[in-house]
Amino acid sequence: MSAHILLTTLALALVAGPLGCFVVWRRMAYFGDGLAHSALLGVAIGLVIGVSNQIGMMAIAIIFALSLIWLRAKRVLATDTLLGILAHAALSLGVVAMTLLGAGDIEVHDYLLGSLDAVTQDMAVWVIAGSGLSLGLLMRLWPGLILMTTSEDLAHAEGVHIVRYEFALMVLMGVVVAASIQLVGILLITSLLIIPASTARLFARSPEAMAIGGSAIASLCMLIGLPLAQNFQLATGPVIVCVSVASFMLVLMARLATRKG
Amino acid sequence: MSAEISATDYLVTVRDLTVVKQGQTILDAVSLDIAKHDFITLIGPNGAGKTVLLRHLLKLESPHGGRVHHQSGLKIGYVPQRVTIDPSLPMTVQRFLTVNNDVTGSQLDSLATETKISHLLNSPLADLSGGELQRVLLTRALAGKPNLLILDEPAQNLDVNGQLQFYTMIDEIYESRKLSVLMVSHDLHLVMSSTRKVVCLFRHICCSGAPESVARDPEFISIFGDDMAKLMAVYPHSHAHDHDHDHDHHHHAATDEES
Repeated sequence: MSAHILLTTLALALVAGPLGCFVVWRRMAYFGDGLAHSALLGVAIGLVIGVSNQIGMMAIAIIFALSLIWLRAKRVLATDTLLGILAHAALSLGVVAMTLLGAGDIEVHDYLLGSLDAVTQDMAVWVIAGSGLSLGLLMRLWPGLILMTTSEDLAHAEGVHIVRYEFALMVLMGVVVAASIQLVGILLITSLLIIPASTARLFARSPEAMAIGGSAIASLCMLIGLPLAQNFQLATGPVIVCVSVASFMLVLMARLATRKG
Repeated sequence: MSAEISATDYLVTVRDLTVVKQGQTILDAVSLDIAKHDFITLIGPNGAGKTVLLRHLLKLESPHGGRVHHQSGLKIGYVPQRVTIDPSLPMTVQRFLTVNNDVTGSQLDSLATETKISHLLNSPLADLSGGELQRVLLTRALAGKPNLLILDEPAQNLDVNGQLQFYTMIDEIYESRKLSVLMVSHDLHLVMSSTRKVVCLFRHICCSGAPESVARDPEFISIFGDDMAKLMAVYPHSHAHDHDHDHDHHHHAATDEES
């Protein structure tokens, strides 16, 4: 495996740990899915106006988050309904646009399930920079985010700017989802965030332990999954998720066994 | 210390606070002062604007009319109505009490002794009983050395025994720390049996003062009904007598308020 692929995946795994924790704690899984679905539209827009995929996807992710916040404030439809509308509208538009733009089925397939071929050196720079910045911002906002996750009322009363923090979290999700989509695929991106964090939850006693544990488990899954995908010519997303689920099961078994003993 | 601030210096001054949401008047020209070492209990039916008033007292929202003034150096400790801890968040009591503030280990120990939670510091937050959790929230509110404690129905989810214990603890802290307390409460039978100042809110301040005078106020009677006023009339009498009423009325009041 070449160095730029290794660095890209490790950068993603590191930020996936803490970010995945918030997806689990704050029940943002469906939001993550929605963001991922909108990414294909971002790629299509990128093709039309001639910017890179990552920029197109991040722009769409931010628009997606803003639309959700705006629609949610109207308090007419539930958040999951809004997400369903936004996500599937964006996915359908994306597929239609990609086909009209002449993208083949294989290309669309690669976006859906992830592919190592897509990880070019140019993209690696983007992904590593994006992950690094996201991780930095996440660490800076960490205490406030943790307090807000425990109780929004309390955090608000103690001076945490809830709206800004929540928006920051959504944008971070957008950046990380956009950064990792070509590797893991639109359909499976949320599991890259959720499964390592959930695995870490099985043994963690503090939020920080869960975040670091999540990063470590995500890195391990990437390091095991990617060579497997490469050797057997498989889509990377499904292989990484299979490895992640296996690690979750293993830790769960170990947990159950020690609890009995 | 106490001599530095005269009794006329209010910690919080609210003048003609008016809040309108979607064309509806939530608060109408509310004026309220909180002095040093005041203990004010805020009562009122659901939808009376109690929580909205608290949010403005905390300056979390800006009013449509009127103003809320904080004395310089005012530190507010806030105990929210309830906190539901998601079990997916691994968090011990100790970690919760030190997140996003600068509480040191020794400060934490003395705080924990004060609120009787020393034995809970290493427990996961999600495992606590309702009463324990409220004491932990109180501890966090005290960590910032507040001179005003604001509590939003702090004993709402506790059983009668737990409520009594929690209110006793608030009383003790009020006396020992010489701070001011503003508390929203639904537990009328407890509120009205104390001697502290009661403020009755229903979009505007209907009446305020000692429980006996509030209970005789026509507006109080129209809001809480004759029952409550009659109940108040029996408080000064024998213990056994008002115990019965106390019990009956608690359930009555609780179902009223839930609906």
